[in-house]
Amino acid sequence: MTESTIGTSLALATPTQSSPVSARLWGTVLPRLLCGLVILLAWEFIVRAFAPAYVAKPTSVVMAIPRVIVDPAFLTATRQTLAAVAEGLAIALVAGTVIGLAMGRSVGVERAVRHYVNGFYAMPMIIVLPLFSLWFGYSGAARIATVIFAAIFSIIINVADGARSVPREFLEVARSFRSSRLRVLREIVLPSSMPYLLAGFRLAAGRALIGAVVAEFFLSVGGLGYFILYNSRSYHHNEAFVGVLLLAGFGVGFELLVNWCTRRFMPWYRRDEKTS
Amino acid sequence: MTARRHPRASGDDTAEWTIAVQQSLRRHLPFWVSLLAGIALWEIAGRATSAAFMVPFSETLVRLCQLVITGEFVREFLDSATLFLTGFVIALVVGVPLGVLLARVRVLRVGIEPYIMTLYATPMVALIPFILSLMGFGFAPKVLVVFLFAVFPVLYNTVEGARSIKPELIEVARSFRSNEWALWREVLLPYTLPYIMTGVRQAIGRALVGMVAAEFFLSSTGLGQLIMGASQNFDTGGVFASILVIGLIGVGLMRIGLMIEQHFARWRQ
Repeated sequence: MTESTIGTSLALATPTQSSPVSARLWGTVLPRLLCGLVILLAWEFIVRAFAPAYVAKPTSVVMAIPRVIVDPAFLTATRQTLAAVAEGLAIALVAGTVIGLAMGRSVGVERAVRHYVNGFYAMPMIIVLPLFSLWFGYSGAARIATVIFAAIFSIIINVADGARSVPREFLEVARSFRSSRLRVLREIVLPSSMPYLLAGFRLAAGRALIGAVVAEFFLSVGGLGYFILYNSRSYHHNEAFVGVLLLAGFGVGFELLVNWCTRRFMPWYRRDEKTS
Repeated sequence: MTARRHPRASGDDTAEWTIAVQQSLRRHLPFWVSLLAGIALWEIAGRATSAAFMVPFSETLVRLCQLVITGEFVREFLDSATLFLTGFVIALVVGVPLGVLLARVRVLRVGIEPYIMTLYATPMVALIPFILSLMGFGFAPKVLVVFLFAVFPVLYNTVEGARSIKPELIEVARSFRSNEWALWREVLLPYTLPYIMTGVRQAIGRALVGMVAAEFFLSSTGLGQLIMGASQNFDTGGVFASILVIGLIGVGLMRIGLMIEQHFARWRQ
């Protein structure tokens, strides 16, 4: 990054600050490391002092990591969960965008389905699991259905918001050049609701991950969730916790990826004003 | 659709009344029409498919009435409500003071923020198996699950609000020799309150998910048990009735959350 330019601008703004880089080190990095260390130490100490030996603690989790990440069962589980999340998210993204665009651009569609979309979105998504297990059996299909159900409504709501807030001038110009409805949708409405789509996708990815893990708990189909469940039931807490760390990594990774995409491809858009 | 009619006399009482009726019709008609269409669709789909797959709306209502009359439903509902409220209140009691403390102590906030954000993005359901094997099947582990689901949105949003607090406000309060307690009560809390309420709204939704998850995967009680039991007995009507009720509770709670948030958002610029 352009550390030097930031440094000079900071130095210009606050002449009293002697060295911005070291100030950053002392002001930000050090407290973070210290807090992390304190949390880990407290965890280690409490578990050692009060909990049974099988309970996960930082040192033994770290020691379990090299063992677990070469374990074929773990790799298969990760692949299965990621594949299910990816497949479900892709379906939810396409279907959700289509429905969202229809809702945003047509009053009739909006009125017909708005209450259902909001209602399903407010529902705690995991209550559909018993129903899906009746419909699809205890299988991967029920997991994908859960992922889609978890993800689609936040995408629909956000895309509809985006499609509704297309600047009127754009549409008027397009109309005065006699462009067809489909072209307007594809070349104006879709690109201009892109930031909303990304915000919806960020929410949807987190919910999809939760949906997949819960579905694996409930349906006992192979995947990371089942890996965690199985290992913690057989008192391999350290191994199971590596799975949790990976899930947390996915959660944070999705978040960072979407934020980065928003900044990189839509620098004019401030996400903190538009989310939720 | 409603026919548009113009009132002849502006001072006329009945004409004004007609306008009011027409306006409210125009506002609420689409909602009722779409609701009725949905119910009709559900009824038709339920009748067209087998009873194991889907149950028509009318039968779902009948099953719901049965559950209410036997008292089973009320008992499970109260069970779930206790769990939800306990976990949620603890999350608030822990989350808000901690969040405002982080607003006050900059070093602590900078240090702890990335961890809160990480936990906010972590799927908390993954911790349920650990809680199960450590704490067993009591009421406490379930409260812990609801708490874990609910606390991080509150904390995350409080910290977010704390970060945006204007240093001038604190400086002015300081130069008027305000003590720490007054500073909290009159500057910090009012300023972060709208953000806290955004957290509360998110936490309501998450706590509901946590409640159902705890009831599914820890000891089965409450509405979660109702729906699980129905599914295991292939009582599709019971499944649909429970989903309908929990869905309506979700929508109602979300409404309340939005109202709280908007009420406090008035002084957020």
